[in-house]
Amino acid sequence: MAAVRETVETVGEVEKYKYGFFTDIESEKAPLGLTEDTVRFISAKKNEPAWLLEWRLAAFRRWLTMTEPTWAKVSYPPIDFQDAYYYSAPKQQAKLDSLDQVDPKLLETYEKLGIPLTEQKMLAGVAVDAVFDSVSVVTTFKEKLAEAGVIFCPMSEAVAKHPELVKKYLGSVVPTSDNFYATLNSAVFSEGSFVYIPEGVRCPMELSTYFRINEKQTGQFERTLIIAEKGSYVSYLEGCTAPQRDENQLHAAVVELVALDDAEIKYSTVQNWFPGDEEGKGGVYNFVTKRGDCRGANSKISWTQVETGSAITWKYPSCILRGDNSRGEFYSIAISNGRQQVDSGTKMIHLGRNTTSRIISKGISAGKSSNTYRGLVSVHRKAENVRNFTQCDSLLIGSKCSAHTVPYVETKNPSAVLEHEATTSKISDDQLFYCMQRGIGEEEAVALIVNGFCRDVLQQLPMEFAVEAQKLVGISLEGSVG
Amino acid sequence: MSGNMAEKAAQNFVEAYEAARTALPGADGWLARRRAAAIESFAGAGLPHRRLEEWKYTDLRQTLDKAGFASAPEHMGAVVLPEAAAASAFSTLDRYVLVFVNGRFRADLSKAARLPKGVELHGLADVLTEQWAKDLIERRFDEARQAEEIVDLNTALMNDGMCLRIRKGVKLDKPVHLLFLAADGGASHTRNLILLEEEAEGTVLESHIGEAASFADIVTDVALGDGAKLDHVKLQDESADAVHLATLRGEIGAGARLSSFTLTLGCGVSRGQSFIRFAGEGAEAHVNGAYALRAKQHADQFCVVDHAVPRCASNTVFKGVLDGQSEGVFQGKVIVRPDAQKTDGRQMTQALLLSRDAAMNAKPELEIYADDVQCAHGSTVGELSKDALFYLRSRGIPEAEARRLLVLAFLDDVITLAPHEEVRDILRGLVSGWFEEAST
Amino acid sequence: MLEIRNLHVTVDGKEILKGIDLDVAAGEVHAIMGPNGSGKSTLSYVLAGREGYEVTEGSIRFNGKDLSEMGVDERAAAGIFLAFQYPLEIPGVTTMTFLKTALNAQRKARGEEELDAVRFLKLVREKAKPLNVNDDMLKRALNVGYSGGEKKRAEVLQMSLLEPALAVLDETDSGLDIDALKTVADGVNALRSPERSMIVITHYQRLLDYIVPDVVHVLSGGRIVKTGGKELALELEKSGYAGYGADAA
Repeated sequence: MAAVRETVETVGEVEKYKYGFFTDIESEKAPLGLTEDTVRFISAKKNEPAWLLEWRLAAFRRWLTMTEPTWAKVSYPPIDFQDAYYYSAPKQQAKLDSLDQVDPKLLETYEKLGIPLTEQKMLAGVAVDAVFDSVSVVTTFKEKLAEAGVIFCPMSEAVAKHPELVKKYLGSVVPTSDNFYATLNSAVFSEGSFVYIPEGVRCPMELSTYFRINEKQTGQFERTLIIAEKGSYVSYLEGCTAPQRDENQLHAAVVELVALDDAEIKYSTVQNWFPGDEEGKGGVYNFVTKRGDCRGANSKISWTQVETGSAITWKYPSCILRGDNSRGEFYSIAISNGRQQVDSGTKMIHLGRNTTSRIISKGISAGKSSNTYRGLVSVHRKAENVRNFTQCDSLLIGSKCSAHTVPYVETKNPSAVLEHEATTSKISDDQLFYCMQRGIGEEEAVALIVNGFCRDVLQQLPMEFAVEAQKLVGISLEGSVG
Repeated sequence: MSGNMAEKAAQNFVEAYEAARTALPGADGWLARRRAAAIESFAGAGLPHRRLEEWKYTDLRQTLDKAGFASAPEHMGAVVLPEAAAASAFSTLDRYVLVFVNGRFRADLSKAARLPKGVELHGLADVLTEQWAKDLIERRFDEARQAEEIVDLNTALMNDGMCLRIRKGVKLDKPVHLLFLAADGGASHTRNLILLEEEAEGTVLESHIGEAASFADIVTDVALGDGAKLDHVKLQDESADAVHLATLRGEIGAGARLSSFTLTLGCGVSRGQSFIRFAGEGAEAHVNGAYALRAKQHADQFCVVDHAVPRCASNTVFKGVLDGQSEGVFQGKVIVRPDAQKTDGRQMTQALLLSRDAAMNAKPELEIYADDVQCAHGSTVGELSKDALFYLRSRGIPEAEARRLLVLAFLDDVITLAPHEEVRDILRGLVSGWFEEAST
Repeated sequence: MLEIRNLHVTVDGKEILKGIDLDVAAGEVHAIMGPNGSGKSTLSYVLAGREGYEVTEGSIRFNGKDLSEMGVDERAAAGIFLAFQYPLEIPGVTTMTFLKTALNAQRKARGEEELDAVRFLKLVREKAKPLNVNDDMLKRALNVGYSGGEKKRAEVLQMSLLEPALAVLDETDSGLDIDALKTVADGVNALRSPERSMIVITHYQRLLDYIVPDVVHVLSGGRIVKTGGKELALELEKSGYAGYGADAA
C-alpha cells in the first residue's frame, strides 16, 4: 500500500483521458506545409486587410531566420514544420447568427467536453467563445456583453470590425520578433479571442474560451488579445483539449494582455491537452507565449494556470510591471505524469516604482515525468520599492520522476525586497496510512493530499472552475501510485 | 566586438602555452599529452562568455580581452607584503606556511619543516609521476558542464601548486597556509592537489593578496577518502585591476566531511567555482562564503553539489554586502541523482544592497531525480532594514554605527559556519575592517 | 467482536509481538498497559493494517472476518478506528474536507448514501460542539499548527463522526494537561455504548481514572503477562512495571 512503489511504471490506463475522442466532421485545410503561400492562404480565408497580411509575412520571413530555443529542460525529436497543416476549419457557413445554425456535431463535441453551448444549457454567468481547430464556432452571451460595451469576439471578427484596436495593440506586448514560436504564431495565427473592456467597466460575467484541436496533423496557433481600459476589470478563462492521437500535435499560441491605469485582468487557464500515452507516444507540444503588460499605474494582472495536459509544456506567462504601483501575480499548478515534460514558470519584470509581484508555483511530478519551474524576477534600476515573494514547491510521487527549480533573481535597485523559497517533498507513507485508516482509498488519499498541496493556487481560480480543476488534479494522477 | 578581438585573450593563452610548453612541469610524460589536448579543447571553446548559461552573469572573455594579461614573470628577490589587513591575516596562527609569488613556490619564504609522519607536502612538479596526482588531475565532474571547461586552460598552463597528501588515519597537527602573492602583473596558473586518505584530517588555509594587475587562475583538486575531514578556508583580497578565477573540485568519500569557506573582499572580477561530488554514503559538504564588495567589483559564486549517492547532506550559504557599483552573483545547483534517496540538500543566498548602483543576480537551482529527499533553497535580496536602523538609533546609536552593526551581524551569520574559532575571529576582524574602510 | 489468537508480529525482521491472545466483546473497554517498547503501538498498527508490520503467525478476526485479507481503508470502513499517538499533519487539506472525504468514503464502501454538504455540516457541528472544536479549527488545515490538545480533540471528533465498532486509542493521553485530558476523556466516554468496543493503550494509569476500563492487560516483552480488572491499573501505578519484565521503564 505504500504511496510510492516501484510499480509506477504501470502508469495509467489510456481511458483516463476522457477528452480523447475525435469528431468526424468535414473540414477545409490549408495545403500541407508552411510557405508564404500558406500565410497568404490563411489571411485570405480570414478576409484580412493588407496591413495584416504584410504583418504576417514580415513575421514569416523573420521566422525563417530563427532557430528553435533549446534551453528548456525538455527533449523531443526534431519537429518537421513542413509536415503539418496550419489551417483547418469545419466546413460550414463562416458567420453564424444563431446557435441553430451550428453543426449539431460540433455542439455535441462541446457537450461531451462539458461545455454546453446550447441556449438552455449555457453556463450561467459565463460567456463562452468556442474555438474548433482554426476557427471560432460560436460565442455566447454576445448581446449581453455588448450592452456593457464589452467586446468579446473571435480575433478574425475583431480584425474586421475593430481594426483600429487590433492594429494598435496586436504585437505590442509580444512583438513578432519575440521568439521562435511567437514569430511562427504571428505568421500563421488563425483564431483566438479578442476582448476589449471599456473604461470603468467591470465585465459583468466571466469570459471563457474553449480551444479544441480536432483535425489530425494540425497545429493550433491561436492569438488572444485582451485590453482592459482604465479602471476596468475582467476575468477570463481558457480551457484546452485535443483528441487522442499517436502523432504529436503542435500548439503555439500567443496571448497578449494590456492593462491600463487602475485596470485588472485575471487570466486563468485549465490546460488539458492530450498528454500522450504512458509510453510517451502522441500528445500535444504546447509552446506558448503569454505576456501581460501592466501599462498603466495601479494596474494588475494575475495569471492562474492548472497545467495537467500536453506531452511537452513550454510556457512562461509573464508580467511587465511598467505602471507605477502595478502588480503581477502568477499562480501555477503543473502536474506531470507518464512521460510528460513540463518547463514552465513566469517572468516578473519590474520597471515601475512600487511594483509588486507574487509567484506561487506547485509542481507535482509522477510516473516518469520531468517537471521544471523556471522563473525570472528582474528589478530595473529605476524601479523603487519593489516587492516580490516567490514560493516554488515540488512534490514527487515515485522515484522515476524528476523535479527541477531554476529561479533567476536580478536586482539593480537596493530598495527591492525579494524573497524566494523552494521546497521539495514527497507524500509520506505516514500521511497516506493516516488517511487510509480513516477509510479513504489510496487514490483518493493521494488526490486529497495533492489538492491540499495545491490549495493556495486552486483558491485563485474562479469558483465555476475550481471544482473542475480539483477533479482534474485527481484524474491526472490516476495510476501514479502502486 | 569583432571576432578577432573576442578571441584575443584566448589566443594569448594559446601562444603562452606554445612558448612555455617545453619548460612546463611534466613536459616529458603523460601530462604533456594531456596539456596538448587541453589547450586544443580550450582553443576550440575559447574563453567563456555570457551566452553560455553558466556564465550568464560574468563575461570572462570580455574581462580578459580588456586586461590583456601576459604571463607573470618569475619573481626572485625579496617581497614586500601589501599593507592590507588580509596580507597578514593568518599570521597569528601556529601554522605551516607555503608562499607562492607570481604563482611560483618560494621555498626561501616558506616555513613547512618537521611535518608529522604520514603528511607529504610537495610542489606540483614533484608529484606528477605519481598515480594519485594523475588521477586527481584527470578527473572530470561532468562533461556537459560549461563551467568546468575552463579548467582546460589551467591544465594546459599550470606550472606550480601545492600538493598535500595525508596518509590513512593521520591528522595534520596544524593548518597548512598557502599565501599567494601577486607581486607583479600578469597571469599565473596554479594547480593544488589535496588527497586525504581514509580517516585523515587536515586544515588548509589560502590567502590571495597583491596590488598588481594580475590574473590568478587556480584549480584546487580535492579527494577525501572514507571518513576523512578537510577544513578549507580561503581569503581573497587582491587589487581592483586583478581577475581571480578559482575552481574547487572535490570528491567526497563515505562518511567524509568537507567544510569550505570563502571570504571574498578583493579584486576587480572574481569567479569562484565549486564542484562537489559525493562518492560514498553518509558524507557531508559545507560550501559557504561571504563577500563584501565596493566600487566596480564583481564577484560570481558558482556552486554545484552533486548528490550521486544516498544519505549525504550538503549545505551552501552565501551572503554578501554590495556597495558602490559592485555586482554580486550567486549561481548554485543541487543535483540529486536517481537513487540518491535520503539526501538533505540546502542552499541559501542572501544579499544586502548598500548603494543605489549595486546589483545582485542569483540563480539557486534544484535538479531532483529522487523522491525521498529533503531539499530546499532560498534567496533574498534587499537593503538594510529601516525598522532595525530606526530601532537602534532610537536607543542612541548613531546611524553609521547602527549600519555597521547591522551589516556585520548580517555577515556574521555565515561566518559562524566557517571552521575553527580562531579563523572565524580573523574573518570577523577582516569584515569589520572592510566596513570601516568603506565608511571612511 | 475482536479475537486475537497467538499473534506474532515482526517489524524490520525483529519479532515484537510474541504470541498475543485477546478477546474483546461488544461494549467492552480494554486497557493495555505496559512499559515503553513492550509492543503496545505495534498492536495498534497491526490492527489498523499498517505496512511493514508482518503477521508471521496467528490470526486476528474482527466480527468473524479475517483481517489479514483486508486493506487499511477496508478495515476502517469495516469499523476499526485508530486514534493516533502522533496525528499526521496534512497541509492544505482543511479538517472539514478531510472529515467529509473520510465519512463519505466509508459510507460509500458500505453501500450507504453519501452525505451532501448541508447534512454533513450539520452533523459535524453537532459532533464538534461537545469537544470544543469550533468552525475556525475545522477550517484550518488538518493538524497543521494544532496544539497537542487540539490534535487529540480532532482525533476524538473523527472517531465520534465515523462511529467505529472498535476504537483503538494509542497513548491518547500523551502530551495533554489535565484539562485537555478531561475534555478528551469526556468525548471518549460519550461514545461508549453496548455496540462499541474500545482498546485503550497507555503507559500511565492517569487516563484510566477518566476512561474506566472493564479489563486491564499488562503487555511486556511482546506478550500479555497479566490480565485483571480496573484495580490492576492502580496496582501498577504503585508498584510500576518492575515485576513484569526486564525492560521496564
